[in-house]
Amino acid sequence: MLHYLKVWLASARYSVIRTLMFRGDFFVWSLVEVFWMAVNLMLISVIYGHTSSIAGWSKYEMMLLVGTSMLIQRFLMGFFWSSIFEIGRNVRSGNFDFFLAQPGNVMFMATTRKLDPDGLINSVVAAGVVAYSAGQLGLHPGFFDLAMYAFLVLCGLVIHYSILVLSISAVFWLTSAQGVEGGYFTMTEFSRLPREAFKGVSNILFVWLLPVVVVSNAPARVLLHGFEWQWALWLAGMAAAWFALAVLTFHRGLRRYASASS
Amino acid sequence: MLASVEKYRQAFLVGIQSNIVYRWNFAVRGFFSLFHLAVVFILWGAAFAGTDRIGGFDLRQTLTYFITLLVLQFFISAFNEDYQISEEIRNGIINQFLLKPINYFLYRFSIFVAARLVSGALVLLPLIVAFPFIKDSLTFPLDGWRLAVGVPALAMSALIQFSIAYCFGMLTFWFLEIQGFVILSMAVEAVLGGQVFPLDLMPDAIFRVARFLPFYYQMYFPGAIITGRIELPQALQGLVIQAGWVGVLLLVNQILWRRGLRRHTAVGG
Repeated sequence: MLHYLKVWLASARYSVIRTLMFRGDFFVWSLVEVFWMAVNLMLISVIYGHTSSIAGWSKYEMMLLVGTSMLIQRFLMGFFWSSIFEIGRNVRSGNFDFFLAQPGNVMFMATTRKLDPDGLINSVVAAGVVAYSAGQLGLHPGFFDLAMYAFLVLCGLVIHYSILVLSISAVFWLTSAQGVEGGYFTMTEFSRLPREAFKGVSNILFVWLLPVVVVSNAPARVLLHGFEWQWALWLAGMAAAWFALAVLTFHRGLRRYASASS
Repeated sequence: MLASVEKYRQAFLVGIQSNIVYRWNFAVRGFFSLFHLAVVFILWGAAFAGTDRIGGFDLRQTLTYFITLLVLQFFISAFNEDYQISEEIRNGIINQFLLKPINYFLYRFSIFVAARLVSGALVLLPLIVAFPFIKDSLTFPLDGWRLAVGVPALAMSALIQFSIAYCFGMLTFWFLEIQGFVILSMAVEAVLGGQVFPLDLMPDAIFRVARFLPFYYQMYFPGAIITGRIELPQALQGLVIQAGWVGVLLLVNQILWRRGLRRHTAVGG
């Protein structure tokens, strides 16, 4: 475990040094993320300019939900996005050999190699949106609620990570994983909606079968309504199941990898 | 004159062929658009649960607006033209155009038109699949003038979209990496182009300013004409402003091309 922590810290150090070399790039990409977060908040603001409730959620409850969804997404972008996204290209070109030759679990090495500090910086902005909304709602969560919120955000991050690894693993069979990016962002759109808005088929598909709604609704509910063990168990169970599926699929795919032109 | 047209006709035909190669990419994009549409239906359906009208329009009119924009996007939006132009400049591929009697803007525009014809045709497939589920949400006004004004508005919207993408591509003469600028601009275009919410729902003062920006004419303007969100006098006034923006952007394109070429070093290619 300590060995992996050392490897990760070395990768993180390299990523930070690289970012400091391309400061202009860092600034532009940080701005990109802030702009896209602002777009989501503007949508909420405009809709609530014309109505007082969406599926029983008030304006600041929705902002807290959207902030939570953005927080999980920023963590994913910061810690894993670049590394996972590059797997597709590396498998196609044969550069994936580099990870096979490293002394450690291939999935860990390949998905944690690069850190994006711009994503991590913006997680502070997303956390600020959550804190601001909680302030507007007059919420005063205790230490236990905050700890549970952090735990459920972590579970959400595991689910996002697993879905992305599962999607990119298709490259071992298809040799091209184009569209993964668009697919991921489309799926995260659902996590900005309250669970109560889903009815009928959409309820079965997006709430029960795919974990795209529970991933943000469960942590948001901890701050709004206090800890509810059903939601926590549901999300933790989903995180464990999707992570297991991602590990299994990735290693199945790895067996098919035959270096360049595979 | 005929020989000149023939050059770009050939570029158009090559564009059709090369875009058919990427038919699965367009199909996948069309498929994911249906998920985006599901989000729109769920969100706006929940927003309308407590009220009959938002901004003077009912739920069906609002959903029709979003469906129309989603389909139009495949016919008139610039997808990755900025990136393609950027790659051609960075890799020195534009060198060959500097030595031939061909206008680079018209060449790229011919390929853009071909690409949108292919993506527009392919989006009809997921649309047909989704039609039984969305048909009850569709309601279009039947005024004849909307077609007469809508068609030139759509043509100019396509030209504005392409021109903006072309401008971003030209930035490669000055910057090594333009992807950050492009995605930054996408956020602005998505909001001020009316793709996130109908622009008429914004506070009145902001909406009035937005009407004088080019983004308004990228998607919202033709979409609003077709779906009945604006009336004839506003539409005619809008056409004039839109034509003005087309002129301005074409001029900026030419200036950037000429200025950029002065900085260009034709190594390799």
